[in-house]
Amino acid sequence: MSVSLEAPAVGLDSLTQIASALPPTPLRAAGLEAFRRSGIPTTRHEEWKYTSLRELAETSFVAASATDVAQLDLDAWLIADGPRIVLVDGQIAPEWCRLGIPGLDVRFGDRLTPTDRERIGSVAAIDATPFSALNAACHAEAVMIELARGAVIEPAIEILHVTIAGAEAVAAFPRLFILAHSEAEATIVETYATIGEGVTFTCAVTEGTVAANAHVEHVKVQRESEQALHIALTEIRQEGDSSLNTFSVTYGGKLTRNDLNIFLNGSNLHCRMDGVVVQNGGQVCDNHTRLDHAFPHCDSFEVYKHVLDDQAMAVFNGKIFVHLDAQKTDAKQTNQAILLSPSATMNSKPQLEIFADDVKCTHGATVGQLRSDALFYLRSRGIDETQARAILVYAFAAEVLEKIECEPVRNELERLLYEKLQA
Amino acid sequence: MLQIKQLHAGVEDKPILKGIDLTVRSGEVHAIMGPNGSGKSTLANVLAGRDGYDITSGQVLFDGEELLELDPEERAHQGLFMAFQYPVEIPGVSNSYFLRAAVNAKRQARGESEMDALEFMTFIKEKIKLLHLEGDLLTRSVNEGFSGGEKKRNEIFQMAVLEPRLCVLDETDSGLDIDALKTVADGVNALRSPERGFLVITHYQRLLNYIVPDFVHILMDGRIVKSGGKELAHELEAKGYGWIEEELAAGARG
Ligand SMILES: Nc1ncnc2c1ncn2[C@@H]1O[C@H](COP(=O)(O)OP(=O)(O)O)[C@@H](O)[C@H]1O
Ligand SMILES: [Mg+2]
Repeated sequence: MSVSLEAPAVGLDSLTQIASALPPTPLRAAGLEAFRRSGIPTTRHEEWKYTSLRELAETSFVAASATDVAQLDLDAWLIADGPRIVLVDGQIAPEWCRLGIPGLDVRFGDRLTPTDRERIGSVAAIDATPFSALNAACHAEAVMIELARGAVIEPAIEILHVTIAGAEAVAAFPRLFILAHSEAEATIVETYATIGEGVTFTCAVTEGTVAANAHVEHVKVQRESEQALHIALTEIRQEGDSSLNTFSVTYGGKLTRNDLNIFLNGSNLHCRMDGVVVQNGGQVCDNHTRLDHAFPHCDSFEVYKHVLDDQAMAVFNGKIFVHLDAQKTDAKQTNQAILLSPSATMNSKPQLEIFADDVKCTHGATVGQLRSDALFYLRSRGIDETQARAILVYAFAAEVLEKIECEPVRNELERLLYEKLQA
Repeated sequence: MLQIKQLHAGVEDKPILKGIDLTVRSGEVHAIMGPNGSGKSTLANVLAGRDGYDITSGQVLFDGEELLELDPEERAHQGLFMAFQYPVEIPGVSNSYFLRAAVNAKRQARGESEMDALEFMTFIKEKIKLLHLEGDLLTRSVNEGFSGGEKKRNEIFQMAVLEPRLCVLDETDSGLDIDALKTVADGVNALRSPERGFLVITHYQRLLNYIVPDFVHILMDGRIVKSGGKELAHELEAKGYGWIEEELAAGARG
């Protein structure tokens, strides 16, 4: 008999302790139970094959709880001059929020209604992933963001999540529910950021529903520090005749894992799932997306682009399920990577499962270097090699950002892309 | 300004250029004609500095400087320009951004100040008019979705903007209808000047009705086998490349 090497329990223990220290609620209790069952997955787990959570398992975390929230300098992370919801260490920071905008209601704490409480956890199942369970177990309070029927909110609803790093490794568990009623129109930007130096762990859940004829753009921006571990689940249910464009932009983080699940729960829907991943050094980014086409006549487009330098590693796993009733589905998935260094790695796995027979579904994946003909073309016009490469890399990624409708958000993400590529 | 001396080049083990000698002086227009596969594009690419060719022997001097030792961008800074036979599509990079980067790279290399966006726009709008191009050319991605004719006109437009001293045109006429051909020729003729040299590579004589060369060279199997004035192009048009081959064979026998 060989001795089996058990995964260290430090991380797991510290996380369950954070949960146990909170006042019990049914949601927390269910979360804790589910998390105890799953534990922290290892790379033997199919969904975690390429992304090792060793650091998470080996680190002892304490619950992040900021003091002096009012003293923070958040300007660097804010984009537009509209409604604003700021969460510090996973908890809403009312002094930083800019609310009171007609058509937008933000509820948390005592203001959560019984219906709100029923909604929370109804779209993203508590045990959807080990970390949605952990979030349910450890979240301090959920925030409900409600867009009234017909509300058109401009320029964008900004949600800023900051985690304050320090001497101890801290963990934060933000939890949001976005409720977009029919005919509502808005861009929602969720930015994740770190202040200070030290190990942080953000375990986030955002769930939401997009009602009939609503038009929502959801942009998630990962700008956390290079010591940040980040695992997030975003799960959205889309109703008939609505449209939803999602963008997941990852520049920061040490390890980022995004699960993005969208359920197309009606007909005549349009859905976009786009992603830009720019990573260098030893950064790791793992995107798992899942799209369920459950009804006829829906379109979905998914484009994920990766630019990987140094030893960066990225994973793209894109599942598309076309259910039996989802005739006339038009689903297109593409994922592309440019590797700027021989030690950068891209692992991609498209997974299309199609049960309807009258559908159009395509997927394609490319991994490569910059096109040498394009590089020569630029150089032959006098642009030096370094700049020519930079132009081509920028253009490759910016092609995705160009699809963002909200201009200030698009411009800021393009600026950050440029900055990241200079690094 | 350009002196090519006994240039031999090829790919891997295949020799393509087998001893080219050619001198272009300022103000001259030289046409290089030759059948497909004779090495015309190889010559243009070697001059512009494309990777992948082995230069086995010979020398190229540009204003007395060793051209072959320079990077492609340095050749451009020195005033060399090649209009590509197959212009490259670059999605996501707008023509105006691309051209401003090119213009400023050249200015910077020469110690001149960079043009700001406004100066550049004024400068470029004039060039657009000169070539009868659509204004939206500037906002479109470089060559993306362009028709064959648009791509070739874009090459000439870039040439007009970059104001090179030596212009190498690689089959800029191929695939053009007569109107597009005239536009391209007008663009080239507008740039003719005593300070500028041209190497016009073509398969057909047709373009040379509009861009009248001072010299015509016939390239076959990697060698310049015959040189003459503009009448050589007409002769070639009338008699075909077979005529040269026969003449060469006769020469070899005699
Ligand atoms: N990169 C390359 N690899 C292999 N063969 C090549 C390459 N470039 C050119 N050749 C060959 O060299 C010859 C000359 O080509 P090219 O210079 O393109 O001729 P032209 O432009 O006159 O048609 C042809 O036989 C062509 O197939
Ligand atoms: Mg050719």
